Amino acid sequence: MNLPDRPITILIAALGGEGGGVMADWLIAAATQCGFPSQSTSIPGVAQRTGATTYYLEIFPATRDQLGDMNPVFSLTPSPGNVDIMVASELIEAGRAMQNGYVSPERTTLVASTHRIYATIEKMQMADGRFDSSRVVEAGKQLAKQAILFDMRELAQANSTVINAVLLGAMAGSGALPVPREACEQAIRSGGRGAEASLRGFAASCEIAAGSRPTPQPPAPPKRAEGLQEILDLSISRLKDYQSETYAKLFLERMQPFLDGDSKLASETARQLALWMSYEDIIRVADLKTRASRFERVRKEVGAQEGEPVLVIDFLKPGVEEFASLLPPFLGRSLTHWAEKNGKLDAYNVGMHIKTSGVFGYLLVRSLAWLKPWRPFSYRYREEQKLIERWLARMRIAAQRNPALALEIAQCATLLKGYGETHRRGKANFLAILDALVENPAISDAVEQAKSIRKAREAALADPEGKALGGALGKPVTWLKPVKN
Amino acid sequence: MERSFKKEVELLKLGDGETFHGEGILAVTKALLQSGVAYVGGYQGAPVSHMMDVLNDAREIMDQLGVHIETNASEAGAAAMLGASINYPLRGAVTFKSTVGTNVASDALSNLASAGVKGGALIVLGEDYGEGSSIIQERSQAFAMKSQMWLLDPRPNLPKIVEMVEKGFELSEASSTPVMLELRIRACHVHGSFVAKNNLSSKHSKNNPIQEPVFDLGRICLPPATYAQEKHKIEVRWPAAVRFIREHGLNEVFPGARTDVGILCQGGMYNATLRALQMVGLADAFGASQVPIYCMNVTYPLIPEEIVAFCKGKKSVLIVEEGQPAYLEDAVLALLQRHEVQGVKVQGKEMLPNTPGVFPLAGEYTGEVVLTGVAKFFNLEKEIDSIRSLKAKALQLLGSPTPPRPPGFCVGCPERPVFAAMKIAEKTTGAFHLSADIGCHTFSTLPPFNIGHTVLGYGLGLASNSAIQPLFGRRTITMMGDGGFWHNGLTSGIANSVFNKDDGILVIMKNGYSSATGTQELPSSPQHSEFKAGDMAIERALEGVGVGWVKTVDNYRVGEVSKVLKEAMTTDYQGLKVIIAEGECQLERQRKLRPVVAKNLSAGKRTVRVKYGVDEDTCTGDHSCIRLSGCPTLTIKDNPDPLRRDPVATVIDGCVGCGLCGENAHAAVLCPSFYRAEVIQNPSFLDKALNKLRNVWRGTTVH
Repeated sequence: MNLPDRPITILIAALGGEGGGVMADWLIAAATQCGFPSQSTSIPGVAQRTGATTYYLEIFPATRDQLGDMNPVFSLTPSPGNVDIMVASELIEAGRAMQNGYVSPERTTLVASTHRIYATIEKMQMADGRFDSSRVVEAGKQLAKQAILFDMRELAQANSTVINAVLLGAMAGSGALPVPREACEQAIRSGGRGAEASLRGFAASCEIAAGSRPTPQPPAPPKRAEGLQEILDLSISRLKDYQSETYAKLFLERMQPFLDGDSKLASETARQLALWMSYEDIIRVADLKTRASRFERVRKEVGAQEGEPVLVIDFLKPGVEEFASLLPPFLGRSLTHWAEKNGKLDAYNVGMHIKTSGVFGYLLVRSLAWLKPWRPFSYRYREEQKLIERWLARMRIAAQRNPALALEIAQCATLLKGYGETHRRGKANFLAILDALVENPAISDAVEQAKSIRKAREAALADPEGKALGGALGKPVTWLKPVKN
Repeated sequence: MERSFKKEVELLKLGDGETFHGEGILAVTKALLQSGVAYVGGYQGAPVSHMMDVLNDAREIMDQLGVHIETNASEAGAAAMLGASINYPLRGAVTFKSTVGTNVASDALSNLASAGVKGGALIVLGEDYGEGSSIIQERSQAFAMKSQMWLLDPRPNLPKIVEMVEKGFELSEASSTPVMLELRIRACHVHGSFVAKNNLSSKHSKNNPIQEPVFDLGRICLPPATYAQEKHKIEVRWPAAVRFIREHGLNEVFPGARTDVGILCQGGMYNATLRALQMVGLADAFGASQVPIYCMNVTYPLIPEEIVAFCKGKKSVLIVEEGQPAYLEDAVLALLQRHEVQGVKVQGKEMLPNTPGVFPLAGEYTGEVVLTGVAKFFNLEKEIDSIRSLKAKALQLLGSPTPPRPPGFCVGCPERPVFAAMKIAEKTTGAFHLSADIGCHTFSTLPPFNIGHTVLGYGLGLASNSAIQPLFGRRTITMMGDGGFWHNGLTSGIANSVFNKDDGILVIMKNGYSSATGTQELPSSPQHSEFKAGDMAIERALEGVGVGWVKTVDNYRVGEVSKVLKEAMTTDYQGLKVIIAEGECQLERQRKLRPVVAKNLSAGKRTVRVKYGVDEDTCTGDHSCIRLSGCPTLTIKDNPDPLRRDPVATVIDGCVGCGLCGENAHAAVLCPSFYRAEVIQNPSFLDKALNKLRNVWRGTTVH
């Protein structure tokens, strides 16, 4: 008979600890059961601790009997353009495989889960550092001979199994595997523990890949308020909930000058203004943490079953700043200035583990939320409104010169996020940009000025320690006073 | 240990004619027993950790055969153990990773090679080079050459690897020289099969100990014996080795129809070379090649007669040699010149731009690299054009390169909080210099921490800091793992620092195991197998060498750790300050915990499951918590607030409830969004009653 002229090559890209080795073992067992010579290799070691790793297999699709004394020579490493089945347990790993040339239109069946496990470098960014998933999916569809892409992690969870069984199912269902479905199932079964769940996940995935079961649809993209009216409506209800009807009216008054102008600017201003006006102070946090909906959400997030009580312990560490923010302006201001001058801003924080789900913990936190009517008389309220007015004034002036410039100024409010030191640093960055590039710009051209603001903002977001912003502003910036011991 | 090898141990029992199916490094282990070793040792490290692990699990078989197994203190200790083969007819083998382990072992290896051996001595090197490697990129060839030890680099095929182990012992005895067997990462982990033989008992073993000592002044490494030994190496041992290698055909010639060209390759590169030839249409899947191949399963010493015979009459030959410098290529060139073989163009690495040469000077020879080189050599570059365009197209479609995903601390790793504490301490102490060490803790150098300025070797953290500390404006910190501590850190670092009255700070990461290599036991491990002595405390060792300032901290108490760090930075105490950072390796902890929890749950016992979480409506998406953690389960998700854009932090399934999130939020005064949830499984009557009461309260929320 005519023997195949090459082995079937399978490259598995996975993250350490996902069971890629077990899947390789299943494949070898299935191939052995069919009498096909096969080989697998991997690169374990410390490199696999949570990092990206690969397993590589070759299966020669002819039985030992057919081969006689011929022995295929297997390779230990894959070659680009020569991979029959590319498996990726996570979407970016599929992207990496494509980048390395392991997915080709002539040969490769791409089996990849579309869920994301973000790399440290993506998730540590101050803003949104995520790689664009849609590009990977699109590239997969274009580059592979056959692309089987869906959220396999979810299917695994739905079947109470791990992703490797689902990946193997998709391979078997794709028709690209030289071993029949039954051989794979047999391999899983002889693996022992958890075999039943694995087989369920395997079967579901196999049918999806084969087309006999519909491919799960990706979840709808997150809801985003885009249109001006939508943003205004959301903002108003947010501020009513945050403070009062009057406070929401103040928002609308502040928006008036922008409503007839550039709509993009108006939308962004409304969005930023609403977020800023609903700044996260201790009252707001206490309020959000003691809502019934919150306890329900926690139950869901931690996967508590019906009848299992869930205790919720919150980590609060209020300090001088939080205390001062609640005081009347004159007292709050003096206390803050004293603390800043003496490096005591973080000196008296009280770490508290509050059992918010308990009766007393709940009462304690809830009582802070009850301070809501006091908020407009507090120091922080006064400070925030002052800065909001300063920012809005600059935007009104800029809007007349160039809406794009005003938009850049509007977006600078993004820097005001976080709590404690993060917030302080963000505010310092915001003020530095406002001072150096908005109120006292070195450039008179509006387009250039807008560019410089964008650059500075991006620098501040890219590098939370603020070194990059110093460069963008053209001077070394040290905002934080050294803390005295 | 990270894995149990009970199943694999069964493989070691196979006898004549039975088929072994398994991993490369286990095949080597079986081959050692088939060769009748009397003792085995080594130091763990990928990719050869499994060899030691499986042997430790196979005590029963070892006892039957009378084989001694030693968990050596370091690679130097392992190499020194081979001294048993100098005077006595004992076959012995040790294993460690190379080249880092070989570096550590060099002192003993030099002495061993000079003295020469009576019993076969085999060193199994796990060549940690290329993809997945965690060490500096060098090659072991240099060690073989400088000490005149023989280096085997077998074809990555189980029967060949096993044969080379067996022949390696014979070669060692025939030439009185220790032999190194080099296995690349993938070869160590390749799954294949071979036909086994019975295990052999050594003539002398624990069952039949040696009775009389043998004294031979000629084996002592002191002049004048050392002069004689050097001569003996060159005049007797080397020729004997060459003779043995030729007579037993350790190197292989695979014939081919082409008479004008040929390929010389390291044994380890044979499969990649053949695949490349297949892909450009010069070979089939079964190894039948049009181009003859000389496969060097022994890369030191070279066999001049074989190389001359292979090259003679050819127009050009290609050398496939992974690693640099190009020792083999240079040697072949010199050899052909010396033997006056004319007209053979030798091609290998691209030594100078625009000179003949098809392979890169450095780096791993992956399938792609070998394919590209082979295609270039045969002027078949068009065969690989499609690969280039494939990559270009992919990058264009993706828009930008995918984010890198280096290894990092595991979920709940007890080392992570120490670095979080350092970040927090730095805010008051100012940035400090940290001399890092080898271990999982080296991951601190990667994002998000980027802590650690130098890495000089295993256990050498403190030694590498010895000139930094006195020349630095303020105190500096050194990191050392408990693995590094016992490897040599106690002597080369701590004792010496005390001796020299240095004024540094040392953090000993005490997680209980040699975790990076697979959680092997250490002298200070919290529990030991029956073959090891009980707890040998680090604290007592420190006291013994006179360290006067020792503080022990619980890693997960980030605020406390940070405080102790600050205290060490500012205290008036002059001298070495040691902070023992305690926290059990989470891999090992979970391995022990999981079955217990599962059992309790199914028995209906009240169990509290802890998970951390982030309130999505109070999280502002600044990710400062992630920059202080990097835990795989602390990640981001789409912001549920339609007015916001930036993703919020979230804790996903897999959280082991180590508590770092909450501790960080406190210690760094980050944000009030973190919560700890305690899910009470199999709740008691009291739990249920309390829960009802609480629900009533929460139901009366007043807005």
